[in-house]
Amino acid sequence: MQQPSEPLLRIEGLEKSFGGNKILNGIDLAVAPHETVCMLGPSGSGKSTVLRCINWLETPDAGAIFLRDQRVGCHEDGKKPMSDRELSEIRARMGMVFQSFALWPHLSVLQNVMVAPIHVQGRPKTFVREEALAMLDKVGLSDKRDAFPSSLSGGQKQRVGIARALVMKPEVMLFDEPTSALDPELVGEVLQVMRQLAREGMTMVVVTHEMAFARDVASHVAFLDQGRVAEHSTPDAFFTAPKTERARSFLKRYTRGS
Amino acid sequence: MQEGDYLALLTGAWTTLAIALPAIAMGAPLGLALALIRWRKIPVLGTIAAILVSLFRATPSVTLVLLVYYAVPQIGIQLAELPAAIITLTLGTMAYTCEIWRGALMAFPRDQYDAAMAMGMTRGLRFRLIVLPQIARASLPALVNEMTLLIKVTPAAAVIGLVEITRAAVRVGAETYQPLPPFLVALVIYAVIIGTLVGLQRYLEHRQTRALAI
Ligand SMILES: Nc1ncnc2c1ncn2[C@@H]1O[C@H](COP(=O)(O)OP(=O)(O)OP(=O)(O)O)[C@@H](O)[C@H]1O
Ligand SMILES: [Mg+2]
Repeated sequence: MQQPSEPLLRIEGLEKSFGGNKILNGIDLAVAPHETVCMLGPSGSGKSTVLRCINWLETPDAGAIFLRDQRVGCHEDGKKPMSDRELSEIRARMGMVFQSFALWPHLSVLQNVMVAPIHVQGRPKTFVREEALAMLDKVGLSDKRDAFPSSLSGGQKQRVGIARALVMKPEVMLFDEPTSALDPELVGEVLQVMRQLAREGMTMVVVTHEMAFARDVASHVAFLDQGRVAEHSTPDAFFTAPKTERARSFLKRYTRGS
Repeated sequence: MQEGDYLALLTGAWTTLAIALPAIAMGAPLGLALALIRWRKIPVLGTIAAILVSLFRATPSVTLVLLVYYAVPQIGIQLAELPAAIITLTLGTMAYTCEIWRGALMAFPRDQYDAAMAMGMTRGLRFRLIVLPQIARASLPALVNEMTLLIKVTPAAAVIGLVEITRAAVRVGAETYQPLPPFLVALVIYAVIIGTLVGLQRYLEHRQTRALAI
């Protein structure tokens, strides 16, 4: 048995530069099983970059990522990089949901959900089909299974995106501003699915500007600023008594009117 | 024109197809391979691919077919007229379709590719399941256009003695002292071949993409 305190996901000293600009400057973060960590921060503070380093869509310059004590991206010594196959195997254990949905437009909704479990995990097709249908049911889209992504609303697309990630039975889900591209009236249906996931005990890292969601759902909040975790606390502490000036002005901007 | 003359033209049509179809069948995938090498920016190979493409695009087909026909035997390989013509047009098709494929690859949405990676697809799966079906569809009109152009450069093969449609028409015209009728027939044959290609394109475009086995 795993100790409850032992993190499922661990980020240590993460650094990343783009063209000479240091975007991440030593990020440390640990996520225990069943926790939802909300990552907040101003635009350009590197939130997406952190998520993309976690599943190695971006290669960090320094630091390490651990998924249940297995190092992501390179082997134990931290020198020998993982092969494409090894990377794919470890990526398949983490689900990712994109701001732009990133559905595959040439596949139907059901095919979008089924393609990876069949071809990546090699699970039997009939079995996957049932699970995919159950997943679509869970996000409330059973009736759209034969539709193509282009005919869906943004909220529906994002729920397909979530179903597509969930069907892989990931150990952790990474959300990169899943509602930022949505019309305001469609945000709720996506957040509702995410709240449900949190209740069911899914481990999640959520980048979001939805402060109400962070306050209600987050186990803890990490506030990113200038490439560092500037504050790391419970949502209560963060939203009622932010410690840094940057966090205070950030909160003023994003909670205005809500 | 007599029966034998029509037969001569149809034999010419057969030769045209015998040059063009293999050239398409080999040239388009080779073009894709070159495009992938350039897309991945594989160090030395990428540069070689770029140079090859420019070279073949810059050379007139007639020149290239003569070059292949006379140059290849110099390195000790005997080459008949038909294979020489096929190789030439394959190289040309490869060069032109490479640019078509490359355009489609560069326009491919980054987030879709990221999603495929995040879902744990290996490089091969990402390409086969996500990228290829979409770039094939996006490139189809340009590829068919390239094929019609290819059909129209097959008369270049006449310089090494192959009797394709146009050459057959010239011969029949010379034998019957009536140049016009065989050329009208040739025109019809070209129209049928190119019409078939365009029809095939329409069919593929309107078909639902159910090609994937899932
Ligand atoms: N591939 C890249 N190449 C160059 N610069 C990049 C790249 N990805 C991100 N950046 C830069 O890194 C910085 C941080 O980007 P990132 O997307 O991680 O920020 P963010 O916190 O997610 O912002 P937002 O809230 O706008 O999504 C930005 O200035 C961005 O321009
Ligand atoms: Mg971002």
